[in-house]
Amino acid sequence: MTELATRWLGLELRSPLVVGASPLSDDLDALKACVDAGAGAVVMHSLFEEQLVEEQMAAHRFIDSRINMDAEARSFFPESELFEMGSDSYLQRLELLRHSLGVPVIASLNGISAGGWTRHARELEAAGAHAIELNLYDLASDPEETSEALEQRQLSVVRSVAEQVSIPVSVKLSPFYSALPAFVAGIEESGARGVVLFNRFYQPDMDLDELELSREVVLSTSAELPLRLHAAAMLYGQTTLEMAVSGGVHSGDDAAKAILSGASAVQVVSAVLSEGAGALSRITREMTARLSGMGYRSLAEARGVLSMANAPNARTWERLNYARLLHGWK
Amino acid sequence: MEFHTLDGNEAVSSVAYRLSETIAIYPITPASVMGEHADDWAALGKPNLWGQVPSVVEMQSEAGAAGAMHGALQAGSLVTTFTASQGLLLMLPNLYKIAGELSPFCMHIAARSIATHALSIFCDHSDVMSARGTGFALLASGSVQEAQDMAAIGHAVTLESRVPVMHFFDGFRTSHEISKIAALSDEDLQTLVSHEGVEEHRSRRMTPDRPVVRGTSQNPDAFFQAREAINPFYQVFPEKLEAVMDRFAGITGRQYRLFDYVGHPEADRVVILMGSGAECAHETVEWLLEQGEKVGLLKVRLFRPFATERFLNALPDTVEHLAVLDRTKEPGAQGEPLLLEVSGALMEAWSRGDRKVLPRVIGGRYGLSSREFTPAMVCAIFDELKAAAPKTRFTVGVRDDVSHLSLDVDNELDIESPKTRRALFFGLGADGTVSSNKASIKILGEGTELFAQGHFVYDSKKSGATTVSHLRFGPLPIRSSYQINRAQFVAIHAPQFLERFDVLEHAAEGATVLLNVPWSKEEVWDRLSVEVQRVLVERKARLFVIDAAEVAEKAGLERRINTVMQVCFFALADILPREEAIAHIKESIRKTWGRRGPEVVRRNVEAVDSALDNLHEVPVPDKVTATRTRPPRVPENAPDFVQKVTRLLLEGQGDKLPVSAFPPDGTWPTGTSQYEKRTIALEIPIWESDLCVQCNFCAMICPHTAITSKVFEPESVKGAPEAFEVVSETQTSELEGLDYRIQVAPDDCTGCGLCVEVCPAKDRTQPKRKAINMQPIESHREVEAENLAFFRQLPDVPRDRIPRDFKSLPLLIPLFEYSGACAGCGETPYIRLLTQLVGDRLLIANATGCSSIYGGNLPTTPYTVNADGRGPTWNNSLFEDAAELGLGMRLGLDKLVGRARQLLEGFREELPHGLYPELTSACTTVDESAMASRRTAIEQLRNWLADKQTPEARELESLADELCPKSVWVIGGDGWAYDIGYGGLDHALASGQNLKLLVLDTEVYSNTGGQQSKATPMGAIAKFAAAGKATRKKDLGLLAMSYGHVYVAQIAMQSHSNHTTKALQEAESFDGPALIIAHSPCIAHGYDLVHSPAQQKRAVDSWAWPLYRFDPRRIHEGLPPLQLDSLRQKVTMKAYMQEEARFRMLELRAPQRYEQLVAAASEAATEQRELYKQLAGIHFEPHETSDADNEKGERHD
Repeated sequence: MTELATRWLGLELRSPLVVGASPLSDDLDALKACVDAGAGAVVMHSLFEEQLVEEQMAAHRFIDSRINMDAEARSFFPESELFEMGSDSYLQRLELLRHSLGVPVIASLNGISAGGWTRHARELEAAGAHAIELNLYDLASDPEETSEALEQRQLSVVRSVAEQVSIPVSVKLSPFYSALPAFVAGIEESGARGVVLFNRFYQPDMDLDELELSREVVLSTSAELPLRLHAAAMLYGQTTLEMAVSGGVHSGDDAAKAILSGASAVQVVSAVLSEGAGALSRITREMTARLSGMGYRSLAEARGVLSMANAPNARTWERLNYARLLHGWK
Repeated sequence: MEFHTLDGNEAVSSVAYRLSETIAIYPITPASVMGEHADDWAALGKPNLWGQVPSVVEMQSEAGAAGAMHGALQAGSLVTTFTASQGLLLMLPNLYKIAGELSPFCMHIAARSIATHALSIFCDHSDVMSARGTGFALLASGSVQEAQDMAAIGHAVTLESRVPVMHFFDGFRTSHEISKIAALSDEDLQTLVSHEGVEEHRSRRMTPDRPVVRGTSQNPDAFFQAREAINPFYQVFPEKLEAVMDRFAGITGRQYRLFDYVGHPEADRVVILMGSGAECAHETVEWLLEQGEKVGLLKVRLFRPFATERFLNALPDTVEHLAVLDRTKEPGAQGEPLLLEVSGALMEAWSRGDRKVLPRVIGGRYGLSSREFTPAMVCAIFDELKAAAPKTRFTVGVRDDVSHLSLDVDNELDIESPKTRRALFFGLGADGTVSSNKASIKILGEGTELFAQGHFVYDSKKSGATTVSHLRFGPLPIRSSYQINRAQFVAIHAPQFLERFDVLEHAAEGATVLLNVPWSKEEVWDRLSVEVQRVLVERKARLFVIDAAEVAEKAGLERRINTVMQVCFFALADILPREEAIAHIKESIRKTWGRRGPEVVRRNVEAVDSALDNLHEVPVPDKVTATRTRPPRVPENAPDFVQKVTRLLLEGQGDKLPVSAFPPDGTWPTGTSQYEKRTIALEIPIWESDLCVQCNFCAMICPHTAITSKVFEPESVKGAPEAFEVVSETQTSELEGLDYRIQVAPDDCTGCGLCVEVCPAKDRTQPKRKAINMQPIESHREVEAENLAFFRQLPDVPRDRIPRDFKSLPLLIPLFEYSGACAGCGETPYIRLLTQLVGDRLLIANATGCSSIYGGNLPTTPYTVNADGRGPTWNNSLFEDAAELGLGMRLGLDKLVGRARQLLEGFREELPHGLYPELTSACTTVDESAMASRRTAIEQLRNWLADKQTPEARELESLADELCPKSVWVIGGDGWAYDIGYGGLDHALASGQNLKLLVLDTEVYSNTGGQQSKATPMGAIAKFAAAGKATRKKDLGLLAMSYGHVYVAQIAMQSHSNHTTKALQEAESFDGPALIIAHSPCIAHGYDLVHSPAQQKRAVDSWAWPLYRFDPRRIHEGLPPLQLDSLRQKVTMKAYMQEEARFRMLELRAPQRYEQLVAAASEAATEQRELYKQLAGIHFEPHETSDADNEKGERHD
């Protein structure tokens, strides 16, 4: 049997399988089931500063603006309902999870302002998060901002948060960097402890009947995994940051591949959302069987053996061979 | 001593709360806020003086609250309540009981007019005076300080005397005035209140351990004596009250007496009054004493029991001329109540020989419905007292050219101390002006040694409302209980006020004037009208401008300019050093909004920081350069009455109109809202005819009838304005050959955007462009105003040509337009649709509430007439009796119909051939062609009758219109239907009469500010349900269905207009009672109402609001009467609930309770669905109808 214990962000995890950031954080029972099914840690869904700000301003606009405007109605809600529409409920949930789950709880943060990132990071630390995952969800849409400037802005966020908190910080990345290794080096320099590869964006679809955009969450499939494996394999050995693969892990083989490409942890979301906590025990079982079958005694032994640094046919990871492969189909 | 800056309601409520265990209330303006404070404190767990959190219970009406109070008193509890006006009237029966049982009890009244010829939410003493026979002691206070103090004294004295106390103070003037007062601490109250009194009260409680019987029925042999047995308690009451007042003085240093005299010790002229007017009289008497006049004022604190001895002792012997002022009117009385008490007391004393001189007494009325009472008026009264033959009965504050009772007043008189600074602010309801002025008063009151006072005046519009704030502050205590006449600072927070009112009317010489305008400082002067420039020049004013909207916008605060303007006020008013003032403002922002979240604070602080950089002085030239005068307030083509009366009301000059200008019986013309051009939208919908699919959704949903569609004969557009685009009607075969247009009313639109939201037509190459789009008003206003004028006069096509389907119905002429309802109001579209269906044959009985305010609040009203002059006729009786009012209308109307038919019968043989059958054949209000023929026949009948000389002919002529059927609809909100009016609604339904009831269900008391009703859904936070309502919404429809003879439908127009139009028409065609429950999105739900169609759809799809129709006619067709129009649950209850702040608040505050209540609400919906499904599957076997037939016609016994 392969020993599954692993270190991720300096935390000792009993399994590399981590419940990734998802709506599951709102469902304590489901998370408990995930832990029972073998999850090594839990990442909460992101604290979205933008959403907090929007809600505060909406309340200011639709509730506070309707105070003292009418002779008969002083207001439309009880006064005692004026309470913080900030991070409180997130922090309370974090504390609840930390006390209830028995595995590390990693908070996720998505900020929009410099002050917001650091203020909320400190709050998360104070509320007992074992680590913070920074969700750099930041689509480039401004023609005035170069990739260099954007990356510098993101690095300064990482740096300021890492400076403000003493718990470990990981950074969840978008797959769309021109020079990922260099950026990851920058992250390392900024004080983070790990990277998560990669974020999955909720991409809007189109409603052709109504001629408008529609928003639906589409769960991942194993087809999304190779992009992540490729990045992990490429980064392994080039960085001291610990890596987690996130997106497309649906089977024990998927998870094993992530480890072999160099990941210390494997985040699972879609499989749990569609199958329930049972998915985790299945993946654990399959992964253990696979790795044991391959003769690995520990995860450390398996980690990175098929990375670009270690794989026997490492050039396969490179783009050149991609073209040849396609030609081979003829 | 601790000073607090607060309003009268809070000051009183704070004392009453601490001294009570049980608080039973019902919302009513202007007293609601007292109950709300109590509810808030209870929700926060604040204890009373005995360490317990009082039980605060909201009842179904004031009558219910009074019953609960009575019961709690019988159980030995310490009880209070807060009410006013109609609410007090509803309590009267129990007040007699409570006093008759000598129960210690103190209640607090924010005195308000009783509705007579009209409702008024404003102040006079007609409510408390109606209660003067109850046996309650009536205790008056005249200022915020006094209201607090007298509240404590009232609670204390009732415990010691067993006489219940009604403490009253002036609604709005005192209840809503913010003032700096010395606050009463818990220790003060502990010392004041007799704990033996509490013990004794408890010892009299009902308990089976020591059983008694109370509330017996007594016969002639016992009742009278028993009633007289109460006398000693009233005889000693004055003495006991005096003792409590003396003890109070010992604790606080503030000495009150039953009658407080102010003035010359040997005064020859004295005025007597009570309430806030006495403060104004106090100030005036002091000023007159300085002028060497021998005058005085007697303030009455205790009106009942009237303490004659103490009254006589308090009044100087030297008085020769006395004026007694009453703030109430008792038509036909020898005099108003205070006058009678005073006259009686004096007469008795004089006849006994206790008083040598019998002063000449005159009596006057003042201040009805918050009419201003000023020092100039007090002087006018003293002048009148000097006259050789003064008016024995007079009024002051109105110009009475009918009965000639009024005194002439020199309105220019200004006696206010120059040390008191005065500031006036004109704001928009939504811009936060009042909130920041309240904050400013608190800053001045609590951060400095200054005394401060704030009084706030609101108009009655719910969208684009105007507020005027009156702020005074200075080193001297402020007694001025009237609006500011000469202000050293005038701020105009929105440019449109410059065009609408004489905003500088009250600017003092050398005043500082601050304008918020989107103009540069260079162009400001040239944009001002002659009137504004003239005042600025003549009064040597200094002018400052700021584009506050831009500053606020940049800080991310949209149109909320209040903090920006607040900074400017402090910077210009020069009361505090600038930095100190700004620090105070920031602190107040943090205090007020800090809990809302850091972003709210950050943006407001940013606005504060950038305000002063944008404030500029504009030099005022030494002469007027403008040539443009302020535009007329109503169009030139407006009718005479509108020109002469409505115009002045609109200009804020209504109080200058004489008595003769007004109808004496409350009868007003309809159709006046079209003359009030408010122009409150920044953006208005503009039609793109090339994209329009003529669905009329925009016209269907518009809450203000500000976008309408119409079909018309192509030739009728001859002479149309150039920009008047029309297209051919292409969607409806019945309308072939007609032209079609959608028209915006630019000055009546509120800019809510609902029309654009529901517009389904998109430009395929530019999907952002719809068939209507919001555009800046300035580029379209003039053109569209001209188009609208032409559009309105286009002849309507015959009503029977327009199909009665939901897409075509909006093409019928709406007879409800341009109301003052909130932007995005979910109620008004139902009313508009109803008027389109049956407006020209419609009588409306309207319950008090939002629908009676936007439906019938002066200066202008929205119900209007068609080209024939027909339209809805409307009346609002009370909150509780709309169904009964409607039922009475139906009965009365039917009697006239019967009489008309009886008379017609008498002419049957003589009538021209064919006319009789034409006038008696079947005709219903839903049969347009029959209605049209009937009207023609009635015209023929009239013409024929014209030659007949008999009295019967004249009578039939006057009643002939009743041969055409009429429809009676009762309209009200859920507070009426589910709570206060439920008994009447139930009875009206049970009566079987042909009466329709439309419930505009917003699921809270919207008009008074979001108190829970029995329609409030489970899980919603509302006032009096701060923890989230834990019980299910009452299923009003199911209750009505249980009768079996009532048509019932639950509808949701914003999302399901097809269903709505079907239900309304079925109800109208049903020959019997019908109940329509209409889902009405409301600002009290806490979300942007532009999303109300989508959110309402969620309500329907989640079964929070199932759609159904129950039609008893179907029983006779062998069909189940109930048709479920919502079958499946398509979205979860949570998906619906999470979109509204009223539910979201609970999630934030108590996530677990939220989850529980969501689950419970979901379960409730499931159960309801299962029950309804079974009901909808019921099949009635055909049965013998002999019993039913026999009983027909006997149903009224």
